[in-house]
Amino acid sequence: MSKAVFYTAEDVVKRGKENIPSELLSSKNLVYSSPATLAYNSPGAQGFGVKRAGLALPGSVMLLVAPCCCGRNTAAMSGDGEYADRMYYLLQDETDIVTGRHLYKIVDAVKEVCALQEKMPSAVMICITCVDALLGTDMERICRKCEEAVNIPVVPCYMYALTREGRLPPMVSVRKSIYSLLKPAKRRGDAVNILGYFSPLQSDCELYSILQKAGVKNIREIARCTDFAQYEKMAEANFNLVLHPEARYAAADLEKRLGIPYIELTRSYDIEKIRKQYFLLGQAAGFSVDDTKEYEEAAEAVTIFRNEYGMISFSVGEWLNGDPFEIALSLLRYGFAVKEIFGTLGEGNFVYVKKIAALSPETKIYSNLSPSMLMYEETKENTPHAVLGKDAMFYHKTTPGIPWNGEEQFFGYAGVKKLFLSLAEAMKKGGNKK
Amino acid sequence: MKKLLTLLSPFAPDHSGAVSVFFELGGLIVICDAGGCTGNICGFDEPRWFENKCALFSAALRDMDAILGQDERLAGKVAQALEETGTSFAVLVGTPVPAIIATDFGALKRMVKKRSNGKNCLAVESKGTAFYDAGASRAYLELLKTFAKEKREVQKGKIGVWGATPLDFSRNDAGKLIAEALVSLGIGEKKEDIFCYGMGADLDAIQNASCCEKNIVAAPDGLEAAEYLLEKFGTPYEVLYPFLPSKLKKELEEWKKSSGKEGKKKVLVIHQQFAANAVRNELEKEGKDIEIKVGTFFQYLPEYGRKEDISFAGEDDLLSELENGSYDLLVADGKFRKFLKRDSKTKFIPFTHFAVSGTLEESI
Repeated sequence: MSKAVFYTAEDVVKRGKENIPSELLSSKNLVYSSPATLAYNSPGAQGFGVKRAGLALPGSVMLLVAPCCCGRNTAAMSGDGEYADRMYYLLQDETDIVTGRHLYKIVDAVKEVCALQEKMPSAVMICITCVDALLGTDMERICRKCEEAVNIPVVPCYMYALTREGRLPPMVSVRKSIYSLLKPAKRRGDAVNILGYFSPLQSDCELYSILQKAGVKNIREIARCTDFAQYEKMAEANFNLVLHPEARYAAADLEKRLGIPYIELTRSYDIEKIRKQYFLLGQAAGFSVDDTKEYEEAAEAVTIFRNEYGMISFSVGEWLNGDPFEIALSLLRYGFAVKEIFGTLGEGNFVYVKKIAALSPETKIYSNLSPSMLMYEETKENTPHAVLGKDAMFYHKTTPGIPWNGEEQFFGYAGVKKLFLSLAEAMKKGGNKK
Repeated sequence: MKKLLTLLSPFAPDHSGAVSVFFELGGLIVICDAGGCTGNICGFDEPRWFENKCALFSAALRDMDAILGQDERLAGKVAQALEETGTSFAVLVGTPVPAIIATDFGALKRMVKKRSNGKNCLAVESKGTAFYDAGASRAYLELLKTFAKEKREVQKGKIGVWGATPLDFSRNDAGKLIAEALVSLGIGEKKEDIFCYGMGADLDAIQNASCCEKNIVAAPDGLEAAEYLLEKFGTPYEVLYPFLPSKLKKELEEWKKSSGKEGKKKVLVIHQQFAANAVRNELEKEGKDIEIKVGTFFQYLPEYGRKEDISFAGEDDLLSELENGSYDLLVADGKFRKFLKRDSKTKFIPFTHFAVSGTLEESI
């Protein structure tokens, strides 16, 4: 039996972007399923997958048209909470798949679901899966038929796991579906939308105050829209701020349909990069940004942690709110060591590996998805002082750490502050001191 | 509308049933899916997965694999993973994607065997459209046909248990509890001689299945395996659900006491058929005047039921049964509680079924 395969950052950079080792590429191997890869295999198992994301549209209900297996994990969602009475299922059997007869039942199912509601829903999201991807179902046409029957918007959501590495992966497509109901409206100079997440940004994020100081009175996010009327007002935005690359396609669609331009910001845990980004945002949007106070507070949070716990070492996973390679690079720049990164390498983050290799060539890079991870063993040598990410915590169960994958989205200087405060708390619990 | 679920969420599918049979056997389990089915199985239908390491993989099929049917590529990946993980056999588990593209699992098995220098490759052609019991049943048969080929000498006191997975018993420690229950019932002499296939018994026990003096079938999904062993090796079997949760027994007892003497009582029990039958037996123990119907959404075997028992095809069937049945008591998984109207006089006693709610007995 072999050992868990890793490559050092130096190895990876030497081989180059065109020659990433096959063990680090998901398409070259079977994908290992451990608690560390749950979010990869099934984003909806915990957090937001297509089904839960589709329900981000206020007042909507969802009809999943699929074999029973595709809706199984929603049993956890359909309790008494936020999603109670919002998920419905039209189950496909073998005959449906062979004959496509289920397509004729969808209109009646939508009517029945609407009839069950005390108040008519704002929209019905129809979620379809790999099955209809392979059958080539024209769901837009069926949705139009449903709309004629119930007189409310009916929107397709494509949970096509087969296309996850294609041009339009499910989590990209669902974002477009969510914003597809926005209709042309008179734009206002004091309105901005934040696109990217299905849960709100941390309330103390400086991005709000930066925008407010620049005269923006209405900052809208889908997760903060309490009803459909508020959602509709997102069409007034002067511009969209895209905080997650999976929202880029939806933003481009809004630009095309409603003429709302967009600006993209990357989530970073490096205060220098955050400062640069805000400067560029100000330039692009035509206002000046004074972030001195927030910058200094974030820098101080890093310093306090460093003074308290020293130049400690980390293992960084990918099941967290951020890019593991970007976070690892930020930690290295703050003077910490990074022993391991558990991440999926791609074109987008290779640039960070180059910089990591320059600062810490021996940092080991693993792919959670590699079959060899079955043999991953925690040793004295690979155990860090602290771990970041729910997957990294799976490998180092007794090491102080934080999952950093909660629903609240951390961003900017406030995110950096919160990160180091949370880490300090975890270290304290673990009884660590310099 | 038939097949429209407005109160329930879908039950555990056939591929989850298959995985639950293979989970503890040490093979390389490959779910032939795009990733989502694996996430559902592991994150939801296999409670042991969070506690025990298992060589469980997704084939990570992509659109081009489905369009071009790149079976050679998949066989190569499976053979490579067999080598890397040091596992001795592979199991391919079907999902809707291979069902739609009509994957030839027989050919895939041969290709994997050839590429892995003769390692066994099994396959369960589950489709994701049937429930867990169909997948578990197929998995047991595939195991026996692959590994239990030879007749061994029967050893007195050795008992095999089929149909014992967390999906049926809603507990991670069910194997141990089943063994204890059978010994206390005098069916086995020693706990160590009781082999729960699916929970506790290893591959060696499967290979030596013909050593058992007798088989116990604890759920309908274990029946085909027991019949196969009867036909092939002459091993007799008995249908028996070994134990009911003590909390349930206590609640049933309390209900019987409190229900008094005012006329005949009507009870509906919903679960997998053999578990529901066990509840009926428990309620009928003292010969009280109770009319008890068993209902199931899963496999229903008329030879183990009574003529009044019901096989539910959908939510509507259960709703109309409850509306017309005037039941005094409903015993079922907690998810069925919402079928009772707010002002209903029907008493509800929960009997957890993991394949319905994804909830374990001990976590309630």
